[in-house]
Amino acid sequence: MSKVYFSTWNGEFINNLDKPEEEWEESAYNLPATYDDHRDSKAFIGWDGVALFNADVDVIRLAMEYAAQYQVYSEACGRCAPGRWGGRILYDQLDKIARGEGAVADLDHLREISKSMQMTSKCEIGKTVPNPILDLMTHFEDTFMECINEQKPSKHYNEDASYIAKITAPCTDACPAHVDIPGYIEGVRDLKLDESLRATRQTMPLAHTCGRVCPHPCEDACRRTNLDEPIAIMELKRIGADYETDHGFGFFHPGKGKKKASVGKKVAVIGAGPAGLTTAYYLALDGIDVDVYEELPVLGGEVTVGVPEYRMPWDKYREDIEAVKDLGVNFILNHRVTADEMREFESSYDATMIASGTRISKAVRCDNEREEVKGYWGAIDFLDWVNLYEKFDIKTPKAVQEQQMLPADYVDLTGKTVACVGGGFTSMDVVRCSIRAGAKRVIMIYRRDEKTIIRNTTYEEYHEAVEEGVEFIFHSAVNTMNDEEDVLKSLLIDKFELVPDPNGGRAQLVKIEGASETIEVDYLIPAVSQSADLDFIPQEWELEMTSWATLKTNGKDYMTSRKGIFASGDCEYGPMTIVNAVGQAKRGASVISRYVQNGGEVTLTDDEIMEDHLRKMKVYDKKEKVTGWLAGVPRAHSEVLDVDIRKYNNEEVNFGFTQEQSISEAERCMRCYYIAMVAN
Amino acid sequence: MDDKMINFKIDGIDVSAKKGESIIEAARRTGAYIPTMCYLPKTTPNASCRMCSVQVKGQDGFVLSCNTPPLEGIEVITDSDVLYKERQNIMKMYNVNHPLQCGVCDKSGECDLQNKTLDFGVADQTFAVRDQARKKKKWGVHTYDPGLCIMCEKCTAVCNEVVGSEALFIKPGGYKSEIDIRLKNCIQCGECVSVCPVGAMASTDFKYSSNAWELKKVPSSCSHCSSTCSLYYESKHVGINGSRDEGKIYRVTNTADFTSLCGAGRFGFDYENLNIQKDAVVFNIALEKFKSAKNVKFTSIITNEEAYLLQKLKEKLGFNLVNDEAKAFGAFMNSFASTANSSLYNATLADLSKSDFVVSVGSSFSSDNPMVKFAIAKAVNHRKAYVSYVHPVVDPEISNLVTQYIKNEVGSEEAALAMIADAFVEDKSSQEAFFDSLDIGYLSGESNISTEEIELLKLFSKRKTAHVLIIGEDVINHPRAKNIAMIAGLLQKSGAFKVLIIPPVTNSLGVSLICDLDNEEDGLSVGYNTQADFVLSAKGDGNLDMPALNQQEGTFVNIDKDVTPLNAAVGYRGYELNDIANALGVESENVIDYTPQLGFKNIAFDDLENSVDNSGNVKRGYKIEPKTNRKKTKISEVDDLSEYNGSVVYSCNPLNQFNIFTKDCKQIHEKTDLIGSEQFAIASKIKSGDTVTFTVDGQKFTRHFKVNRKLTGTVALNPNFDMDVKSSGYRYNQVKIEVANG
Repeated sequence: MSKVYFSTWNGEFINNLDKPEEEWEESAYNLPATYDDHRDSKAFIGWDGVALFNADVDVIRLAMEYAAQYQVYSEACGRCAPGRWGGRILYDQLDKIARGEGAVADLDHLREISKSMQMTSKCEIGKTVPNPILDLMTHFEDTFMECINEQKPSKHYNEDASYIAKITAPCTDACPAHVDIPGYIEGVRDLKLDESLRATRQTMPLAHTCGRVCPHPCEDACRRTNLDEPIAIMELKRIGADYETDHGFGFFHPGKGKKKASVGKKVAVIGAGPAGLTTAYYLALDGIDVDVYEELPVLGGEVTVGVPEYRMPWDKYREDIEAVKDLGVNFILNHRVTADEMREFESSYDATMIASGTRISKAVRCDNEREEVKGYWGAIDFLDWVNLYEKFDIKTPKAVQEQQMLPADYVDLTGKTVACVGGGFTSMDVVRCSIRAGAKRVIMIYRRDEKTIIRNTTYEEYHEAVEEGVEFIFHSAVNTMNDEEDVLKSLLIDKFELVPDPNGGRAQLVKIEGASETIEVDYLIPAVSQSADLDFIPQEWELEMTSWATLKTNGKDYMTSRKGIFASGDCEYGPMTIVNAVGQAKRGASVISRYVQNGGEVTLTDDEIMEDHLRKMKVYDKKEKVTGWLAGVPRAHSEVLDVDIRKYNNEEVNFGFTQEQSISEAERCMRCYYIAMVAN
Repeated sequence: MDDKMINFKIDGIDVSAKKGESIIEAARRTGAYIPTMCYLPKTTPNASCRMCSVQVKGQDGFVLSCNTPPLEGIEVITDSDVLYKERQNIMKMYNVNHPLQCGVCDKSGECDLQNKTLDFGVADQTFAVRDQARKKKKWGVHTYDPGLCIMCEKCTAVCNEVVGSEALFIKPGGYKSEIDIRLKNCIQCGECVSVCPVGAMASTDFKYSSNAWELKKVPSSCSHCSSTCSLYYESKHVGINGSRDEGKIYRVTNTADFTSLCGAGRFGFDYENLNIQKDAVVFNIALEKFKSAKNVKFTSIITNEEAYLLQKLKEKLGFNLVNDEAKAFGAFMNSFASTANSSLYNATLADLSKSDFVVSVGSSFSSDNPMVKFAIAKAVNHRKAYVSYVHPVVDPEISNLVTQYIKNEVGSEEAALAMIADAFVEDKSSQEAFFDSLDIGYLSGESNISTEEIELLKLFSKRKTAHVLIIGEDVINHPRAKNIAMIAGLLQKSGAFKVLIIPPVTNSLGVSLICDLDNEEDGLSVGYNTQADFVLSAKGDGNLDMPALNQQEGTFVNIDKDVTPLNAAVGYRGYELNDIANALGVESENVIDYTPQLGFKNIAFDDLENSVDNSGNVKRGYKIEPKTNRKKTKISEVDDLSEYNGSVVYSCNPLNQFNIFTKDCKQIHEKTDLIGSEQFAIASKIKSGDTVTFTVDGQKFTRHFKVNRKLTGTVALNPNFDMDVKSSGYRYNQVKIEVANG
């Protein structure tokens, strides 16, 4: 909701002209009437219409500046005839009117060119740039005619004014890392795979990883869904990365392709997971020296020790990490930072980024839940030892072997029964690794239903698990752990049902009396979320925490309550996705880069401010009727490894697209770039 | 499931499409017209001009027919009032600020902008924008005028996907967008010029020299390498008197939508023999020489018909018919056939361009046969082909195409193929003794190819269904050529690979099939385009002049085993070989009378087809069928490998240079420099800029030495295009290099 003077956004028509401010009808949308802490916006113009926040706006100049943005941004590219010349004609004609030399025929030309652009442009920028311009020409025709008839410049034509524009797309907006998705898909379509990868690396260094393991919120915001099926955006991301790796080229870093010269500043990063790696990557590109401290003997964080080999092959993730090392980032392994070191870092480094993740498995909260019981194994620890062995031949230590009754020095579950409690990605990894470890029976105990578990993970993940033989018991939870002399023997499982609220509120899960059953199990692996391990932070800093015990920041600049100490990734947000960690870390790195070089000021760029405004508005409109493309072209599906082969080993399950599939899928992409602009 | 056809309608007419076809491909097949400006069938669609927009019944808005596949049951409308109006607007926009210089523009008469402006009745301009300063650029054989450019992207697409050089790229900037180039990647092939629909990307040489409609298009086959690409020589009379009244070739073009040419084919056309006197005295001397010759020597830069003539003359007069290069090639093919059980290799360039797994052994294909490189570029771009390049010398030109570079020791090609056969031939029973004798560890050590590399190669061949093995010129004259050919034949027979052998010279394959060749003996020799006691020369520098190949009719047999026709583009009034034959009793009115008698198919020259249809299907000449060979030859054990230490030179030409005919072409500038790496310079104790001498097979070379920093290793590249007789020894030679004094 926002106060507007006039708005045509998304089919609204709010006209508060001549009304006193108290009587202004509000817009249903979160339009950015306030730009930042010290500036209000005068207007907002974008692909879906225009909103004016006060009466003093020069509408002709606004239209002209919007058309100019189309020219200024090279991403507006000029790669189609209507866009290239149409855009230029729009600008020239509007400027002609704005500077006082317009004619009535110019308005007709504008309308004609606008229609051609809307009908024939290659992408959404060409198709939508005319929209708000036409709105202004229609609703403020008098203002335009005045300038034409009196041959005078528009209201504020000759003054200094500030117009801040941002290119976005519904997919880019929904992506926590705001990856330039239409850009990298275009690289695939053009068969310029190096450019595809460079487009991804502008905001996301881990292309191999997020091309494989991501819940892809971008696909949920893909406009193609309104027509037929979303683009397989995630699948298309790894193609550029595969090209770089297969041909043994150097790394395709974004922009000029290499790091800037050293600016003499140093930053410490705690944790070498996706958030830590991303922070290091972008700081290094800016010429800042980075030391990354990692407590494990291996790099990569949870993606290395949590995500299994069959989903994220180590030799590919390693390439992503090599890209970071290529920029000269310094990694220190086997080093758990202490509170004393943290205090010392405040003087020896110019800033510190905490990216230590959430690695403490939470409890299921059933009766007799005790860590001493053999067979009770937290998911994080379980996955650590599975992956350290599978990927690095690091043997499971004797203590763990004994506690978890392993017959050998690696995780071998032959003949055992495993129950996992969860429903998120970690629990899927646990059950599928258990199958591969030879378990006789693997059960997933989940509180909710099949639809929900698919929504919380992915369709592919769930169905592949079912194919591999995992049993899913829905609407159930563990009541009690039954042990004999501290060895787990069975679990008492309660059953629930969804009871609708008679008052129309949310349905509640209610235990079904008498339906509980006992299942014999050898292992209970809780995968019910994790908490952050923050013991290393000096207590006297009294860093502000969230209610779920992670470090609190304002979600925009990622600085904690202590100056110079930043946090990103799971340790800030709580257990979440890889792409979320990358997105936060990218923003954090950008802020830190300025912070260390401008004397300690925490600022956001205009680009970042606009990014946040757009996220609040939500760019994707699921009700929009899409035209100009053939509805019903099916989405390509990559081949997966046959279940009878993949159950017994860690070979990568997803083969990825063939070249033909990549090209035909990339051709389906509608390149939904939009331009948003604020006048203030 | 994949073979199911998709049935739909275009303008009310039923049409069927295959999976993977776009609407426009189906339309072109059936003759429905959809206008395009930026569509290039041999690349992925550019989707830039938007002219090919069509309507689909029941759906709002336009659908782009070039990049959209049809769906079952849709009804496509290719023309309507609104489509016409929008296409007209696009043409109006293309014409905005387009310089009105049709009167002097080279493209006039064959310009897509002219054509479509007329089609869509754009008689006046209602839009105008402020003009931009756009600088013209000269990039070698091509000149770029951004003021004329419509940014259709055909040039960048072809440079990236077909040529594989990635030289041209789009410099985006809205209205100021232009094409730009990484000049060091440009191989000066001119594909960009051939696809440009307007006058923006133009041939530097052709500019301002002629109107398109004044030129006569003569279809022919390129004579520089064994791809014998189809092309048009475009010629015109220059005057009515003087040496040029037989016409002059102004440029070469091709059916750019579907076929390609390299820089030699496109720009190496001015090699005709301008000496047009008939010197009866010399002619009679020539007849005497033939009658008394012990040897008649010739090269494979010759038509099938003239090769056939020489064979007939040999049968009549009894001389030795000598062509060492083709003889070695023929011997190689015979050995190959004995284990392949087929007289010919079974792959074509089209197979290569559709392959997804390519292994190349013993070939420097980017300069040996550019169409092989182009086919691989297409395979890599359109099918993500895995390309393994087994060669002692790294080729920086193809680093973006090669996925696995296997550097083998010079001389170890037999070991390389043996290791590949061991990994890929499943049923080893027909050559048990050979496989049992293989000591892989020894072969690996001697060749420097690790077993891991072969394992990796095998690993990546999984899930690949179209394997092609390229056998190059390096092995044809290898000391162990016979055995190598047999291993290659086994690889073909086993089905592990389709095999493509690259004939070293234009018509090596034709000559080896038509002629029964002998070794040279002491005595009088007559040479045809080669050194001898009496020389017939198409270069005009021998005893008796002969016409060059752009002045002849005839046919070649090319790398695809197609018999392809040539036509004369420039007249010639001197004597030709057929005149000598007639005078010596081997009679026919025209040399093309021999075409049906060559021993392939009984089709007259004038009946040979030479066309491409709307969908790119080529009908050109005819294919030679292989003969079954029922020998059951056993492959011998792999021999000990000889060592090549010290300075090694590799007989290899720079791009676009092939022979004495390309050497003097005005637009081909590559020189006869010896090119080596920094390492080579240090090891040989020479430096860049030195004039050096060395001897190969008894032939002394004096070369200017240049360092190429992109090369590595101790093998230098020694061109041979200035030699009329190619050495028939192994391409690699250990030499002693000395700096020339003075």
